[in-house]
Amino acid sequence: MKRSVPVLIVFLVGVLVLATYFIESPGLKQVGSMLNNWGVIITAFAVGLACVNIIRIHAAHIANQRTGWINSAVLLITMFLFIIVGIYSRNNPSNEGAAELFSNLFNYAYSPFSATMYAMIAFYVASASYRAFRMRSVEATLLLAAAILVMLGNAPIAEQLWNQFPVIGSWLLTVINTTGQRGIAIGVAIGGFATSLRILLGFDRGHLGIGD
Amino acid sequence: MWLERLQNIDRRVIYVVLFVALLIPMLKPIGIPLTVNPTTQQVYDLIESLDPETDIVMIGMDYSAAGSADVHPQAVAVAKHLANRGIKSIMVAFVEDGPMLAERVLKSLGDRVVYGEDIVNLGYLAGGESAVKKFIEQPATTFTRDHRGTPVANLPIMKNIKDINDITLIMDFQTGAPGYQEYLRQLPPGGPLYGVGIVTVSVPNVMPYLNSGQFAGLLPGLRGGAEYEVLLGEPGEGLARMDAQSLGHLVIIAFIVVGNVAYFASQRKEKKAKG
Repeated sequence: MKRSVPVLIVFLVGVLVLATYFIESPGLKQVGSMLNNWGVIITAFAVGLACVNIIRIHAAHIANQRTGWINSAVLLITMFLFIIVGIYSRNNPSNEGAAELFSNLFNYAYSPFSATMYAMIAFYVASASYRAFRMRSVEATLLLAAAILVMLGNAPIAEQLWNQFPVIGSWLLTVINTTGQRGIAIGVAIGGFATSLRILLGFDRGHLGIGD
Repeated sequence: MWLERLQNIDRRVIYVVLFVALLIPMLKPIGIPLTVNPTTQQVYDLIESLDPETDIVMIGMDYSAAGSADVHPQAVAVAKHLANRGIKSIMVAFVEDGPMLAERVLKSLGDRVVYGEDIVNLGYLAGGESAVKKFIEQPATTFTRDHRGTPVANLPIMKNIKDINDITLIMDFQTGAPGYQEYLRQLPPGGPLYGVGIVTVSVPNVMPYLNSGQFAGLLPGLRGGAEYEVLLGEPGEGLARMDAQSLGHLVIIAFIVVGNVAYFASQRKEKKAKG
């Protein structure tokens, strides 16, 4: 009962939503739309749940003075600052000061920090490329040549050296790469279909926390 | 010994050289000329073909602040093009950072548009693909207020939107999920055209969709944004960063070449020593 009821719910809801794509019926469409709306609401609540979880974990770090508890304190203070300012400015649209404060927090704190974390990847990629791209075999050489040609195709300065670099880079992307990516996309789609079928039929129950 | 060292350059040296190569053109732009690729030209021509009297564009603000350095210049350039042509647009986000980045785009448009009449920022809808599906099924009623708190019923631009077919083109700027796969699964056949502006690293993944015609257009990363600025005749952040990208690529290639030259030289030396 404990295992079969959740599996039955998943099956019924999944088949109902799936049916809306294949059967033209206003009643069915309405049910599918209602279920979809529930999904949107649940996701919104999941954001709140995530906040509660973060508070629980990091408050424990601070209370027990674990290593790096200061980072946890900074995280919680920042999170509450954004939440309080954001909710206040959203509910008081006429208060321009609050809107400006939230905008400044986003544009001058959150956004630069986020972009920095993403930008650091460039340095790791540079170091990893230097170490990994060695012509140890024919395949490695082909990979290296393709990588260099695509990079040169994308860099305007290379175009000034030889105007065919963009043509070669574009050919690699639109012909060689597209062929491979198309195969991967089809494979992923078939895999996704198989996994969805397993979930609908109850063979895969990991998402319910009850195992196979 | 030198060959050993050249094959194992300290990563901190690579970081410093790359940092300097990126910093110098940001402080003192070189102005390397840029030619426009057919994929960017395709998006430009698509927007040029729209009718300001009848066509409405949805701008999907589905990129994060982390990826904004790559995608934001594209969004600004396209928004400017739409504004210059007098084409009405609605901005929708299915990613949390979207509405604030939309406000940044609106700020860059200045007096070109009248908010509420020519353009609107509807805000963020949580739910991933469910949210995309909901908006596509009910674009007029999904949002009751825009991001600034104005009731949607009071916005003149929304009066023309009854269903998704009232939108001619969806130009979606994205860095991850929900993204092109979610949109393509939910858009009805014969519905709006779908164009994408995406981070450079995802461009190889999406080429099959451009090739098959599922994408009406594709703006590839920072270069796509810079090329669009060239087409528009309004240099901006995209062009300013292309010099840095050029030098950065050259530095990476230089290190790879040095590593390989040292590798081959050491292999040859070992073979000679073995006789």
